Amino acid sequence: MAVPVARAGEHGSSAAHPPITQKSLNDDILRMLEKPGLGWWAILLFDITVLLIGGIALRNQIVLGLGVAGYTRPVMWAAYITNFVFWVGIAHCGTLVSAILFLFRAHFRRAVYRVAEAMTVFGVLTAGLFPLLHTGRPWFGYWLVPYATQRQLWPNFRSPLEWDVFAVTTYLTVSSIFFIVGIIPDAAAARDRARNPFLKLLYTGASFGWTGGNNQWKHYYGAYLYFAALATPLVLSVHSVVSWDFAMAQTAGWHSTIFAPYFVAGAIFSGVAMVINLLIPIRKAFKLEHIVTVDHIEKLSKLVLLTSTIVGYSYMTEFFIAWYGPSSHERDLFWWRATGHFWWAFWIMFTCNVIFPLALWFKPVRRNLTVLFVLCLFVNVGMWFERFVIIVTSLAHPFDPAVWDINYKMSWTEAAITAGAFAWFFMYFLLFVKLLPAFSIAELKETLAPPMRRKTS
Amino acid sequence: MIRRLGEEIEKRLKGPPVAYRGVMGVFYYVDDATEAVRALRQSGHRELSVYSPVPHHDLEKAMEKGESLVRWVTFVGGVLGITGGFALCIYSVRSWPMVVGGKELVSLPPFVVIGYESMILLGALSNLLGMLALGRLPQVKSKAPYDPRFTEDRIGIWVPCTGAEVARVEAMLRGHQAEEVKSYA
Repeated sequence: MAVPVARAGEHGSSAAHPPITQKSLNDDILRMLEKPGLGWWAILLFDITVLLIGGIALRNQIVLGLGVAGYTRPVMWAAYITNFVFWVGIAHCGTLVSAILFLFRAHFRRAVYRVAEAMTVFGVLTAGLFPLLHTGRPWFGYWLVPYATQRQLWPNFRSPLEWDVFAVTTYLTVSSIFFIVGIIPDAAAARDRARNPFLKLLYTGASFGWTGGNNQWKHYYGAYLYFAALATPLVLSVHSVVSWDFAMAQTAGWHSTIFAPYFVAGAIFSGVAMVINLLIPIRKAFKLEHIVTVDHIEKLSKLVLLTSTIVGYSYMTEFFIAWYGPSSHERDLFWWRATGHFWWAFWIMFTCNVIFPLALWFKPVRRNLTVLFVLCLFVNVGMWFERFVIIVTSLAHPFDPAVWDINYKMSWTEAAITAGAFAWFFMYFLLFVKLLPAFSIAELKETLAPPMRRKTS
Repeated sequence: MIRRLGEEIEKRLKGPPVAYRGVMGVFYYVDDATEAVRALRQSGHRELSVYSPVPHHDLEKAMEKGESLVRWVTFVGGVLGITGGFALCIYSVRSWPMVVGGKELVSLPPFVVIGYESMILLGALSNLLGMLALGRLPQVKSKAPYDPRFTEDRIGIWVPCTGAEVARVEAMLRGHQAEEVKSYA
């Protein structure tokens, strides 16, 4: 029996690996769902410990009030909003890979999209925490939702903060739907070989009783195209709306029309870097180097390079416009941003986001996974600091010079909650790789040549 | 206790036995299956179902089922979303007027964001519902005797038929190199 092998340029079979077949794909990917090893438990334990520390800090903040966060007038947005923007940004890569690259028919996405999509859902779940924590009284969070009260009090739809509620909740809903729908055929594959009855129940639920019938496939792909078509404008709008949280205010360093595209590019930049950071250890830990190949990761790293140049261009445009434009205050702020109290944060941002990624112009760097991994870590550090620089420096240097020497300092509570948020994100991720198929079996099968008896057809 | 619960789940998932009437042919090669579908449809079996781990264009063409209608459901959801988003904003500012800086209450530019996001939200939700409803999901009972190999690497063709037809269909599937042919009556 002739075995279908990979098409050239997609999943090349090397000497080290026998050719990939439909059956071997099922075996390789569903093997990830077997009983977790000691390493997985150790990482989870560590993760939960950090999460608990964050939880204790949160408890303190709820009991003692927002005073325990390092807010000092005029800096009343700081680490929490930085984290919010950072995690929404991380989330953007998933939709880029699953929707935009789907519309562009960029087939390399098939090997990486499930991980990216999971990252989106968990990223938004993490981001969503911060506006609530930042309100100080998270139990009143439902006030943001427009619902009819007896006093007919409504949220202010002319406020960018309310736009944000709509954008982020829509994004969470749509990306979760996208994620769950993508899993349907793979959950069916997992269901068909699960032995543990509890897991079988989970996969039966997640598969919606999928059998792979022609009618199911027809409507599945009919709908998938439209999910992609809806998610693409959504992803571009979400970070634009997040950027308008700032750009709609007349604060120097925020009030700029470049913000929307600049934030979207930055979001994709950090998101793709994070997905590379996740994929490299996963493919190694589960021995999937023949499925997520170096070629796939190299293509992702080219996206990092592209978005890095856009981000770098935006930084320079901001400075150019400050110098060229009429506002002396804007000019002063940007000078202060690069040389003032927070100069170190600015230069961490600039080095990690603009200078280090220049190495990606060189192919050996893009294909060396250790170097790439470290580089992407730097990108994520840089992107966290980008949000910090935008938010804190603009607030700390307002129109009133009397407050210029009061400066924000991150408190232990904020640091612990920030660390806890990372743990929260990775907790979901750790559970995900062990409970659901982390790579799309059905879509990967489409990269294989279909089995044909007659070669000519 | 846990074991008993597991056994109970297993039993419930299996469900009561279903009586199927027809013939199931299992194929490995896509071209064999495509030709079998064409031949069966020509001989009057229009109610076929094909099961496969991935969708194949050749098979879809042979089945002649046309395009999915999900997009219309999505379109209606999107239109409802955008009207609903604007309506919510306009209704709420008028019912609780809060004039800021003497500006218009019904100020459309900021409402575009709400309308746009609502359009996408309802569009995506109706797309999901459309897919589930038209694809008959969630499906509790399979229309045909299901085989776990259909999520691995085999293609199944289910031909509902009875009586003298069974032998003819069996022969036809075998003639198109089915790996396995099984009849249910």
